[in-house]
Amino acid sequence: MSVVSNELRELVHRSCFALDREDFSEFLSYCAPGFQYRISAYSPEIRKQMIWFDQDYGGLESMFEMVSQHLKRLGTLFRHPSMGIIDRVSDTEMKIVTSVLIVDTDPNGRSKLFAAARYTDTIDLSGSDPRLTARFVNLETRDLGVGSHIPL
Amino acid sequence: MTARTATDWEKTPAMPDGHFVSGRVYTDDAIYADEKAKIFRKIWHLACHESEVSNVYDFRATDYAGIPLVVVRGRDGVVRTFINVCSHRGAKIVNEPSGNAKRFTCFYHLWSYDDRGACIDIPRADGYASSGLRKEDAGLRAVRTEIHLGLVFITLDDDAAPLADFLDGALAPFETVLGQGNLEVFHYNSAILDANWKAWQETNLDIYHEYMHVLLRRTQMTAGKMDERAMTLHRNAHAGSGGLKADYERYAGMKARPKELMLPGIAPDAFFFVNLFPNASLLARGTVLRIDTVTPVDARRCLVEWRGLAPKGEPDADRIMRINHHNQYWGPFGRNVPEDAFAVEACEKGFAGGGAAFQLIAREENMSGQDDGMLRAWYGEWARRMGRAPGDPVQGEGERT
Repeated sequence: MSVVSNELRELVHRSCFALDREDFSEFLSYCAPGFQYRISAYSPEIRKQMIWFDQDYGGLESMFEMVSQHLKRLGTLFRHPSMGIIDRVSDTEMKIVTSVLIVDTDPNGRSKLFAAARYTDTIDLSGSDPRLTARFVNLETRDLGVGSHIPL
Repeated sequence: MTARTATDWEKTPAMPDGHFVSGRVYTDDAIYADEKAKIFRKIWHLACHESEVSNVYDFRATDYAGIPLVVVRGRDGVVRTFINVCSHRGAKIVNEPSGNAKRFTCFYHLWSYDDRGACIDIPRADGYASSGLRKEDAGLRAVRTEIHLGLVFITLDDDAAPLADFLDGALAPFETVLGQGNLEVFHYNSAILDANWKAWQETNLDIYHEYMHVLLRRTQMTAGKMDERAMTLHRNAHAGSGGLKADYERYAGMKARPKELMLPGIAPDAFFFVNLFPNASLLARGTVLRIDTVTPVDARRCLVEWRGLAPKGEPDADRIMRINHHNQYWGPFGRNVPEDAFAVEACEKGFAGGGAAFQLIAREENMSGQDDGMLRAWYGEWARRMGRAPGDPVQGEGERT
């Protein structure tokens, strides 16, 4: 595993852990100012690719400010990333596809699978630290129960 | 004294009939069995939108209160519905949620049916000669289907009154936008919630619960006047509400809906909705439409399906903005719908073990503001069809189940 691969792996994991802790400012610290975040899923019912959530950096910032005022699912979501394919797009840009299982643990400590998904992350390597410029989450799971106010 | 004794807690609320509902309507298995027989096998149910079967031979398979159905647009352009089970051994035939097929062949013994439900092939049919089975008598079970404003309704009751009689004009507020015939479903998601099916429908009938949503507290409760809201009741307890407003810019990160993205008959700041008894809701919010349906999985679980509708063929930029408007409120990551889902599961926890004895639907504001009148009308119709009083639905029939 190269030094760059290790850095990318660490970035993906750190971004997951930040969201697990709902430390949104830390999550945003891993994102470039032009960051794009999108959750999509394919519906075999209507035979369309659907967008379920789509925000830029500023949109996420606004949303995160409001999260604490919303009624939201109890317990925690833990993201379990399993890095798969790393492609170099250019000297300063990498693309990583990561399989993710997201486990929901309720306040009584009972865990169940919340979602299976795949991240496609684009990462900028031009600065001193790698930064996410895009995360596209493609959901395999479409029944999300009560849903989520927090990005996956 | 503040907290109540056990006796007081279980005592029938001292308010007029129809203003409270016993928790047993959510938990009693006998009541649920009655609901399937007296409500779900009798009413017209909104199965899908016509755009989901827009081409000849398109099909859409769905479940309705545990019964698999398939909606098919035939070679003659007519939309028909069948119970999606083979006449032979009862196996579910169509397992894909949608597709296009000239015939439906059961995987089990390869019996085949055409787009009109006729059985067209039985392998080695000679083997049935002595028992008298003919394929002409082995068609699928047809389900009455009618389309109104692009909405595909079905009923399992061959003797049900026509759809128009059932609806009683309740969809009038949506005639302009749905009647244009140019809409398609761009969003579909479903979830099985741990709650009785009625609890979901109640979220759409209960305007008072807007207090739960910080989004509505900011954008809706302060945008219009309570006494400018008006609820309309129809026969069969269909009910709608209009006169609600939204000021989107009062919520961080949201913008006013642009006039150029308006849907016909909907003002950019308008919010109105119609609830169809017993299990469907149509909501119009500025630039997007939402349709909900809820059906029971069993007494304690329900399947909620959500659809978002938009004009076909609109420019990509418009569609993206419309999807964004939809998702800000609705969908599994919206600011609004997940909170509703949380609430219905919380009510289930309250009623499941008998912890909660009654729910109160007693607000009266002249069918304006946050009146519970739509809930009372709904339970009035439920009582009429079920032959049970919502406040005392078992009347000595036995212990809680």
